[in-house]
Amino acid sequence: MSGTTTTVNLERKVLSENDRLAAELRSEFARHSIFCLNLISSPGSGKTALLERTLASFPKDKRVAVLTGDIQTDADARRLARYGFPVRQITTAGACHLDAKMIVRALEGWDLASLDTLFIENVGNLVCPTSYDLGEAAKVVLLSVPEGEEKPLKYPGIFFKSKLMVLTKVDLLPYVPFRLDDAIANARSIQPGIEILQVSNTTGAGIDDWLRWIEKR
Amino acid sequence: MHEVGIANSIMEAVGTEMRPYGGARPVKVTVKVGAMSGVDRDSLSFCFEAITRGTLFEGMMLAIEDTPADELELSSLELEQP
Repeated sequence: MSGTTTTVNLERKVLSENDRLAAELRSEFARHSIFCLNLISSPGSGKTALLERTLASFPKDKRVAVLTGDIQTDADARRLARYGFPVRQITTAGACHLDAKMIVRALEGWDLASLDTLFIENVGNLVCPTSYDLGEAAKVVLLSVPEGEEKPLKYPGIFFKSKLMVLTKVDLLPYVPFRLDDAIANARSIQPGIEILQVSNTTGAGIDDWLRWIEKR
Repeated sequence: MHEVGIANSIMEAVGTEMRPYGGARPVKVTVKVGAMSGVDRDSLSFCFEAITRGTLFEGMMLAIEDTPADELELSSLELEQP
Protein backbone atom coordinates (compact mmCIF):
# COMPACT_ATOMS: atom_id res chain seq x y z
CA MET A 1 0.00 0.00 0.00
CA SER A 2 1.75 3.10 -1.18
CA GLY A 3 0.26 6.58 -0.78
CA THR A 4 0.72 9.70 -2.82
CA THR A 5 3.63 11.95 -2.15
CA THR A 6 3.19 15.66 -1.58
CA THR A 7 6.06 18.13 -1.55
CA VAL A 8 5.61 21.26 0.53
CA ASN A 9 7.82 24.28 -0.16
CA LEU A 10 9.07 25.71 3.10
CA GLU A 11 11.54 28.52 2.24
CA ARG A 12 12.16 29.70 5.75
CA LYS A 13 15.02 29.90 8.19
CA VAL A 14 15.68 26.89 10.41
CA LEU A 15 16.22 29.19 13.38
CA SER A 16 13.15 31.30 12.62
CA GLU A 17 12.07 31.41 16.27
CA ASN A 18 15.50 32.72 17.31
CA ASP A 19 15.43 35.17 14.40
CA ARG A 20 11.97 36.40 15.42
CA LEU A 21 13.19 37.17 18.96
CA ALA A 22 16.38 38.73 17.59
CA ALA A 23 14.29 40.99 15.34
CA GLU A 24 12.26 42.08 18.39
CA LEU A 25 15.48 42.83 20.27
CA ARG A 26 16.85 44.76 17.30
CA SER A 27 13.76 46.95 17.13
CA GLU A 28 13.85 47.53 20.91
CA PHE A 29 17.52 48.56 20.62
CA ALA A 30 16.63 50.87 17.72
CA ARG A 31 13.73 52.40 19.67
CA HIS A 32 16.12 53.30 22.51
CA SER A 33 19.04 54.15 20.17
CA ILE A 34 21.18 51.44 21.75
CA PHE A 35 24.30 50.34 19.89
CA CYS A 36 24.75 46.63 20.60
CA LEU A 37 27.87 44.60 19.80
CA ASN A 38 28.18 40.80 19.99
CA LEU A 39 31.79 39.84 20.83
CA ILE A 40 32.85 36.37 19.70
CA SER A 41 36.16 34.51 19.91
CA SER A 42 37.87 31.33 21.06
CA PRO A 43 38.14 30.95 24.83
CA GLY A 44 41.02 33.04 26.14
CA SER A 45 41.40 35.47 23.23
CA GLY A 46 40.77 38.49 25.42
CA LYS A 47 37.07 39.38 25.19
CA THR A 48 36.80 40.12 28.91
CA ALA A 49 40.16 41.91 28.98
CA LEU A 50 39.10 44.12 26.04
CA LEU A 51 35.86 44.95 27.85
CA GLU A 52 37.80 45.77 31.02
CA ARG A 53 39.98 48.20 29.06
CA THR A 54 36.87 49.62 27.39
CA LEU A 55 34.88 50.15 30.59
CA ALA A 56 37.91 51.58 32.38
CA SER A 57 38.23 54.25 29.68
CA PHE A 58 34.59 55.38 29.85
CA PRO A 59 33.44 58.32 31.97
CA LYS A 60 31.38 57.26 34.98
CA ASP A 61 28.18 58.64 33.45
CA LYS A 62 28.54 56.59 30.25
CA ARG A 63 25.27 54.78 29.53
CA VAL A 64 26.77 51.35 28.95
CA ALA A 65 25.98 47.82 30.13
CA VAL A 66 27.42 44.35 29.58
CA LEU A 67 25.92 40.88 29.29
CA THR A 68 28.56 38.19 29.58
CA GLY A 69 28.01 34.55 28.72
CA ASP A 70 29.83 31.53 30.07
CA ILE A 71 29.05 27.86 30.47
CA GLN A 72 29.79 28.08 34.19
CA THR A 73 30.79 30.67 36.84
CA ASP A 74 30.14 34.37 37.21
CA ALA A 75 33.87 35.13 37.23
CA ASP A 76 33.64 37.45 34.20
CA ALA A 77 30.71 39.40 35.57
CA ARG A 78 32.65 39.94 38.80
CA ARG A 79 35.71 41.12 36.84
CA LEU A 80 33.61 43.55 34.81
CA ALA A 81 31.39 44.82 37.64
CA ARG A 82 34.40 46.55 39.23
CA TYR A 83 34.09 49.39 36.71
CA GLY A 84 30.74 50.52 38.11
CA PHE A 85 28.51 49.85 35.10
CA PRO A 86 25.60 47.38 35.03
CA VAL A 87 26.82 43.85 34.24
CA ARG A 88 24.88 40.62 34.13
CA GLN A 89 26.24 37.11 33.80
CA ILE A 90 24.39 34.62 31.61
CA THR A 91 25.33 31.09 32.66
CA THR A 92 24.36 28.68 29.91
CA ALA A 93 24.90 25.49 31.96
CA GLY A 94 26.38 23.60 29.05
CA ALA A 95 25.19 25.43 25.96
CA CYS A 96 28.09 26.52 23.75
CA HIS A 97 26.55 29.80 22.60
CA LEU A 98 24.07 32.52 23.56
CA ASP A 99 20.71 32.66 21.82
CA ALA A 100 18.18 35.47 21.52
CA LYS A 101 15.91 34.04 24.21
CA MET A 102 18.76 34.21 26.76
CA ILE A 103 19.28 37.89 25.90
CA VAL A 104 15.56 38.66 26.26
CA ARG A 105 15.58 37.00 29.68
CA ALA A 106 18.80 38.68 30.81
CA LEU A 107 17.47 42.13 29.90
CA GLU A 108 14.31 41.71 31.99
CA GLY A 109 14.04 44.42 34.59
CA TRP A 110 16.66 46.63 32.96
CA ASP A 111 15.61 50.10 31.90
CA LEU A 112 16.75 50.18 28.29
CA ALA A 113 15.99 53.89 28.12
CA SER A 114 18.99 54.44 30.41
CA LEU A 115 21.44 52.82 27.97
CA ASP A 116 23.06 53.76 24.72
CA THR A 117 25.67 50.99 24.41
CA LEU A 118 25.32 47.29 25.15
CA PHE A 119 28.15 44.80 24.89
CA ILE A 120 27.33 41.11 24.69
CA GLU A 121 30.29 38.88 25.43
CA ASN A 122 29.44 35.51 23.89
CA VAL A 123 30.57 32.11 25.18
CA GLY A 124 34.16 31.44 24.07
CA ASN A 125 33.63 29.47 20.85
CA LEU A 126 34.31 30.29 17.20
CA VAL A 127 31.65 28.00 15.75
CA CYS A 128 28.27 27.84 17.48
CA PRO A 129 27.70 31.56 18.25
CA THR A 130 27.96 32.16 14.49
CA SER A 131 24.46 30.79 13.87
CA TYR A 132 22.56 32.82 16.47
CA ASP A 133 21.45 36.38 15.82
CA LEU A 134 21.15 38.26 19.12
CA GLY A 135 19.73 41.47 17.66
CA GLU A 136 23.17 43.10 17.64
CA ALA A 137 24.22 45.92 15.30
CA ALA A 138 27.41 43.99 14.52
CA LYS A 139 29.34 40.89 15.40
CA VAL A 140 32.95 41.49 16.35
CA VAL A 141 35.40 38.59 16.15
CA LEU A 142 38.58 38.60 18.23
CA LEU A 143 41.64 36.67 17.15
CA SER A 144 44.61 36.57 19.49
CA VAL A 145 48.07 36.44 18.01
CA PRO A 146 49.14 33.16 19.70
CA GLU A 147 46.21 31.34 18.04
CA GLY A 148 47.83 31.54 14.62
CA GLU A 149 47.05 33.24 11.35
CA GLU A 150 45.03 30.35 9.92
CA LYS A 151 42.00 30.79 12.19
CA PRO A 152 39.95 32.71 9.57
CA LEU A 153 40.40 29.84 7.12
CA LYS A 154 39.65 27.15 9.69
CA TYR A 155 36.54 28.89 11.08
CA PRO A 156 35.31 30.90 8.08
CA GLY A 157 31.70 31.32 9.27
CA ILE A 158 32.37 33.83 12.00
CA PHE A 159 34.84 35.85 9.91
CA PHE A 160 32.23 35.94 7.14
CA LYS A 161 29.59 37.36 9.47
CA SER A 162 31.65 39.82 11.51
CA LYS A 163 31.92 43.50 10.68
CA LEU A 164 35.20 43.85 12.55
CA MET A 165 38.13 41.59 13.42
CA VAL A 166 40.15 42.67 16.45
CA LEU A 167 43.61 41.14 16.57
CA THR A 168 44.48 40.92 20.27
CA LYS A 169 47.69 40.34 22.25
CA VAL A 170 49.73 42.15 19.57
CA ASP A 171 52.36 42.85 22.24
CA LEU A 172 53.30 39.18 21.77
CA LEU A 173 54.09 39.59 18.05
CA PRO A 174 57.87 39.60 18.60
CA TYR A 175 57.65 36.32 20.52
CA VAL A 176 55.29 34.12 18.51
CA PRO A 177 55.50 32.86 14.92
CA PHE A 178 52.44 34.82 13.77
CA ARG A 179 52.43 36.24 10.25
CA LEU A 180 50.33 39.38 10.59
CA ASP A 181 50.01 40.03 6.85
CA ASP A 182 48.81 36.47 6.29
CA ALA A 183 46.23 36.76 9.07
CA ILE A 184 44.82 39.90 7.46
CA ALA A 185 44.89 38.36 3.97
CA ASN A 186 43.16 35.23 5.29
CA ALA A 187 40.37 37.23 6.91
CA ARG A 188 39.91 39.33 3.75
CA SER A 189 39.82 36.18 1.59
CA ILE A 190 36.73 35.15 3.57
CA GLN A 191 35.22 38.62 3.67
CA PRO A 192 36.90 41.38 1.64
CA GLY A 193 35.12 44.17 3.53
CA ILE A 194 35.98 43.12 7.08
CA GLU A 195 37.46 45.94 9.17
CA ILE A 196 40.58 45.12 11.18
CA LEU A 197 42.04 46.59 14.36
CA GLN A 198 45.09 45.58 16.37
CA VAL A 199 45.11 45.88 20.15
CA SER A 200 46.99 44.81 23.22
CA ASN A 201 44.90 44.66 26.36
CA THR A 202 48.14 44.36 28.35
CA THR A 203 49.91 47.51 27.10
CA GLY A 204 46.82 49.40 25.95
CA ALA A 205 48.15 49.74 22.40
CA GLY A 206 45.37 50.20 19.86
CA ILE A 207 42.63 50.64 22.47
CA ASP A 208 42.03 54.21 21.28
CA ASP A 209 41.37 52.91 17.75
CA TRP A 210 38.82 50.48 19.17
CA LEU A 211 37.11 53.23 21.21
CA ARG A 212 36.99 55.43 18.11
CA TRP A 213 35.48 52.56 16.13
CA ILE A 214 32.71 52.27 18.73
CA GLU A 215 32.12 56.03 18.89
CA LYS A 216 31.78 56.52 15.15
CA ARG A 217 28.84 54.10 15.00
CA MET B 1 28.21 21.19 19.14
CA HIS B 2 25.02 23.19 18.63
CA GLU B 3 23.79 20.79 15.96
CA VAL B 4 21.46 19.09 18.44
CA GLY B 5 19.61 22.38 18.81
CA ILE B 6 19.55 22.92 15.05
CA ALA B 7 18.28 19.35 14.49
CA ASN B 8 15.58 19.94 17.08
CA SER B 9 14.49 23.16 15.35
CA ILE B 10 14.21 21.22 12.07
CA MET B 11 12.13 18.50 13.73
CA GLU B 12 9.80 21.07 15.30
CA ALA B 13 9.42 22.86 11.97
CA VAL B 14 8.50 19.60 10.24
CA GLY B 15 5.89 18.95 12.95
CA THR B 16 4.36 22.39 12.44
CA GLU B 17 4.40 22.24 8.63
CA MET B 18 2.77 18.82 8.37
CA ARG B 19 -0.15 19.72 10.65
CA PRO B 20 -2.44 20.83 7.81
CA TYR B 21 -1.87 17.48 6.10
CA GLY B 22 -3.42 15.36 8.91
CA GLY B 23 -2.46 11.62 8.73
CA ALA B 24 0.47 12.19 6.33
CA ARG B 25 3.83 10.58 7.04
CA PRO B 26 6.99 12.71 6.80
CA VAL B 27 9.42 11.18 4.30
CA LYS B 28 12.10 13.76 3.64
CA VAL B 29 13.04 17.26 4.66
CA THR B 30 15.52 19.29 2.62
CA VAL B 31 17.65 21.90 4.32
CA LYS B 32 20.11 24.37 2.81
CA VAL B 33 23.29 24.55 4.87
CA GLY B 34 25.78 27.22 3.86
CA ALA B 35 29.52 26.75 4.06
CA MET B 36 29.65 29.87 6.30
CA SER B 37 26.71 28.90 8.52
CA GLY B 38 28.85 27.38 11.25
CA VAL B 39 26.90 24.13 11.03
CA ASP B 40 28.67 20.83 10.44
CA ARG B 41 26.70 18.66 8.00
CA ASP B 42 27.81 15.26 9.31
CA SER B 43 27.17 16.29 12.86
CA LEU B 44 23.73 17.64 11.90
CA SER B 45 22.78 14.36 10.16
CA PHE B 46 23.96 12.37 13.16
CA CYS B 47 22.00 14.54 15.60
CA PHE B 48 18.86 14.48 13.47
CA GLU B 49 18.87 10.70 13.36
CA ALA B 50 19.50 10.50 17.10
CA ILE B 51 16.78 12.90 18.21
CA THR B 52 14.09 11.58 15.83
CA ARG B 53 14.53 8.01 17.07
CA GLY B 54 11.36 6.82 18.79
CA THR B 55 9.32 9.76 17.46
CA LEU B 56 6.93 9.93 14.51
CA PHE B 57 9.82 11.46 12.56
CA GLU B 58 11.98 8.34 12.93
CA GLY B 59 13.38 7.11 9.64
CA MET B 60 12.64 10.27 7.69
CA MET B 61 15.44 11.50 5.49
CA LEU B 62 17.35 14.70 6.10
CA ALA B 63 18.68 15.93 2.76
CA ILE B 64 21.32 18.63 2.98
CA GLU B 65 21.90 21.02 0.07
CA ASP B 66 25.30 22.69 0.19
CA THR B 67 25.22 26.42 -0.46
CA PRO B 68 28.11 28.89 -0.49
CA ALA B 69 27.13 31.56 2.05
CA ASP B 70 25.58 31.47 5.53
CA GLU B 71 22.16 30.00 4.66
CA LEU B 72 20.45 27.78 7.20
CA GLU B 73 17.04 27.33 5.62
CA LEU B 74 14.28 24.79 5.32
CA SER B 75 13.81 24.22 1.64
CA SER B 76 11.06 21.59 1.23
CA LEU B 77 9.22 18.79 2.96
CA GLU B 78 8.05 15.58 1.34
CA LEU B 79 5.00 13.90 2.85
CA GLU B 80 3.37 10.59 1.98
CA GLN B 81 -0.38 10.64 2.23
CA PRO B 82 -2.28 7.42 2.81
